[in-house]
This record gives sequence, C-alpha cells and structure tokens, in this order.
Amino acid sequence: MTANEILDMLYGTLHTTGIYNFQWNIVLMWGVGSLFIYLAIAKKYEPLLLLPIGFGIFIVNFPLVPLMGYSHGHPQLFQLFYHYGLKWEVIPCIIFLGLGAMTDFGPLIANPKTLLIGAGAQIGVFITFTGTVLVGFTLKEAASVSIIGGADGPTTIYLTQHLAPQLLGPNALAAYSYMAMVPLIQPPIMKMMTNLKERKIRMRQLRSVSRQEKILFPLVTSGIIALLVPSVIPLMGMFMLGNLMKESGVVERLVGTAKDSLMNIVTIFLGVSVGATMQADKFLSWKPLFIFSLGLVDFAVCTIGGIVTVKIMNLFLKEKINPLIGSAGVSAVPMAARVSQMEGLKYDRTNHLLMHAVGPNLAGVIGSAAAAGMFIAMFD
Amino acid sequence: MKKTALLLLILLMFPVASNAEDFLGAPVVSQGKENLRTDARLEMKTPLSHDEVVLFYKEQLKDVQDIKFRDWKDSTYIEDDGARPWHSITISKDDKAGATIVIVKDNWTWIIGTLILRYIGVFVVLMIVLLGMVVSGKIISSFVRRAEAKKAAG
Repeated sequence: MTANEILDMLYGTLHTTGIYNFQWNIVLMWGVGSLFIYLAIAKKYEPLLLLPIGFGIFIVNFPLVPLMGYSHGHPQLFQLFYHYGLKWEVIPCIIFLGLGAMTDFGPLIANPKTLLIGAGAQIGVFITFTGTVLVGFTLKEAASVSIIGGADGPTTIYLTQHLAPQLLGPNALAAYSYMAMVPLIQPPIMKMMTNLKERKIRMRQLRSVSRQEKILFPLVTSGIIALLVPSVIPLMGMFMLGNLMKESGVVERLVGTAKDSLMNIVTIFLGVSVGATMQADKFLSWKPLFIFSLGLVDFAVCTIGGIVTVKIMNLFLKEKINPLIGSAGVSAVPMAARVSQMEGLKYDRTNHLLMHAVGPNLAGVIGSAAAAGMFIAMFD
Repeated sequence: MKKTALLLLILLMFPVASNAEDFLGAPVVSQGKENLRTDARLEMKTPLSHDEVVLFYKEQLKDVQDIKFRDWKDSTYIEDDGARPWHSITISKDDKAGATIVIVKDNWTWIIGTLILRYIGVFVVLMIVLLGMVVSGKIISSFVRRAEAKKAAG
C-alpha cells in the first residue's frame, strides 16, 4: 500500500466524520440546547419537556448524525418520532387524554361563570396575531405564533403543526418556556392591574359538585365544542374522554395508564421530536428570535385580558370575584392557579384562592382550544 | 382529462389569457370588460362561464402557496393566506351571460374584522358551554334532590 493510498483512505474516513463537515452555526445551537438543559436541571423549568427538547436540539445539530433525515428512503429515528407523533398530530391529542384523566373540573362546574375569564384571556392571542402580520409573517404563521399566549403547549403544537409546521420548534419552545416562567411573568402584571382592595376580595367557598354532574360535563362540553368548533375535537375530544374515564370511576386501569405511563412515553417523544426540528439552518433566522420576544408580550396581554375580564364581570356581579384569579385564565395548568393563590396569600394570609383560580385555569384550556379552532376554521 | 381538454380549449380560444395581465399580482382574464378599477378593487364581467374562469385560476395559481379555493353557493372565493398584495378573487356563479370577477386588495379591515369576529366567537363558544353546564347542572340537581327525597320518605 502506497503512502498516497493511505492518505486517500484517511481522507475518505475523515469525510465520514462530523469534524470534516463542521460548521460554526451549529455551535450556537449547541449553546441553545445546553441552555434549555440547564434551565430544566438547575432551575427546574418544565424539566419534563425542556430536558428532552434541549437534548434534541443539542444532538441533532451535529453534522451527519442520522436522526432527522432519511436513510435509503427510510425515516431516521427522530424523523420517525416526528412523522408519526407530530406530523400526524397524534402526540398533542394523547397528552390531552392524559391531562383529562388528571383534571378535576369540579371548581369550574361549581362556578361556571369563570369560563368567561378563560375567553377574556384569549385577547392576547388576537392582538399578537395583528403584530405578527405587521412584521411580515404570513397569516397562518401569525395564527400559530399568537396561540403561544394561550399558554397551552399541546394546543400550540397542534395548531402550529396544522398551519405552519416550519415554526414548530420555536413556537413549542416559546410556549413551554413561558409556561415555566409564569411565576416570574405574572405577579408584576397582577400587581399593576389591581388595587389592594381588589386583591383582598374574599370569595365564597365553592359548592360541592355531584358525581353525576362531573360525568355529564365532558359529554356536554365535547358535544358543544364538536358542534361549534369541530376542528379542535381531536384535542378536546381526547381531553374530555380522559376526564370521562376518570369521573366514571369504572376504568381505573385506563385512567392510570393515560395519566402516567402513556403520558410519560409521549412526553419523551414530544420533547425530542420538537428539539430535533430545530436544526441550525432552519432555526437561525430572525423569526425564532421574534417569536420569543413576541411570545412574552402575548403572554402578558393574555394575563391582562383575564384580569380585565374579571373587573368587567365585577361591574355586574353582586358577589365580587377576586381579580387575582383572572391571570389564571391563560391556561398553564396548574401553575397559573398556584400563582393566583400565592399572590392572594401575600395580601391576606387566610384568603385561599387556589380552588377559585382552577376554574378560569381550566376555562383557559377550553378557551385556547376554541381560539385554535377558530384559526383552523379560518384557513382550512 | 375533460378538465385539461377544456382548459386547452380556453387557452386556444383566448390565447392572451395564458399571458394574462394582473391586478396587484393576481392574474386577470383578458377576455372581459372592466366595470370598476380602483387602487383596491377590480370588478369585471367576462363572457367566460364560472367553471371556465375557475379553471383558469386553478391553472394560473397551481404553484402558488397559501391559496384556498372556497366553493360557495353563489360564487367561488379564492383567498390568499400568504402575504400577497391581493386578498381575494370572487367569481360569481349566477350570471348566465358569463361570470363576474371581483379582485380585492389585501386590507387590514378584513384582518381586524375577522379577528374581532373570532374573538367574539371564543366568547360565544364558552358562553354556550356555560349555558350547557347551568342547564345540565339544574337537571341533575333536581334528579338528585328527588332521589334523596324518595330515599328519606321510603
């Protein structure tokens, strides 16, 4: 074997390594991935999602890794997860099934007028839409970006995949990041939008809700949603199925699977698939940066929307509602409700708002799904 | 096959149509008379039938993304969901002596209008859910009360 042949062989081997195909922009993506891994581990921000997302971003941005492409016409590992999980819109719906199996709608059934707070909080979604169109996004992209303010991860993913799949990574990441930062974002807004007297409003204890009412709720709600916004019934139908299974009390094993094992499995696939969509050549542009900054505004406006809705409702109600629970209308279950509770306790140590805030919190889930349905109907 | 043949026939009959001029970037059939032309709107009457005009637009816009054809009762509505200068092309169905085509410029009135409408829509959906909950709650409560009263009596 001649020296030239050995050099050729070495050169050929070098070609198959990532080192030869190295590009500097991927280093930036390693940084982005590592940042989310850090936030998940050190700060405990939505670790169940940000950890696999961060790793997905990190690993997919190495040259030549066979993860998001096709080998001999067959999808590679993450591509497979992405294709069947997200492209087919399966994972968000399964997550909603698990969420339904975990959710107690009792506080919402006991005080159904809090549904309106969930609707009011969606104002940010529609305002952000306008802002996004102004800077040059297409209408479909604008709709998918604006739903971030609804603070509902599966709904954001479902709508984005439907209307603007190219923005899936940044949108999902922005949604989950801001959901994790609810305790930081919302309190200053809540303080700014309310006065001391309002923050001390005490609400009457919620009535107890019968089992029959809890069983009927998912049927009535899914029936109404199916009639009015059929496009989101894959999401809401699964949500209500999970809840019906829970409330029926006859399928404990299914409930257990839906809220534990199944939920955990799809969360892993969701995380890595979302992370894997964020390859340097697609991610490094002005759009993701803009989505992140606008997402924050969106979130803030939705919080304001919920609080203002409570204030408007208080003009007509005999028994006033504490506007601190208005911020929970953004969804982000159950974090936003906990923030209402913590803020309430700051001003009156005996005023527990948690159960009252769960109502608008769940209404926010239904409201953001309804808003997503409106957008899908607009473009389909 | 039939559609392709019809399209070929149209293109042969109206050779200029294949090199059609445009209004705000939207193709315009060359055969026809303009009834109104402003910066924001073009209205024209064409001797072509509704189906022929729709076929013309399907061919012209076949490679264009974010375009939606809506088949309505009295017209076909072509809507742009992208960021083009034109917003919609409406082709009437009811005219026997040819179709009327209306091309409208992209406008904020439409965007704001549809957003407000959809925001109200979210309220309407949740208000109907609220109504459903109140009604079903009342019915169930009355059943439970009756059952409890029966139990207490018996």
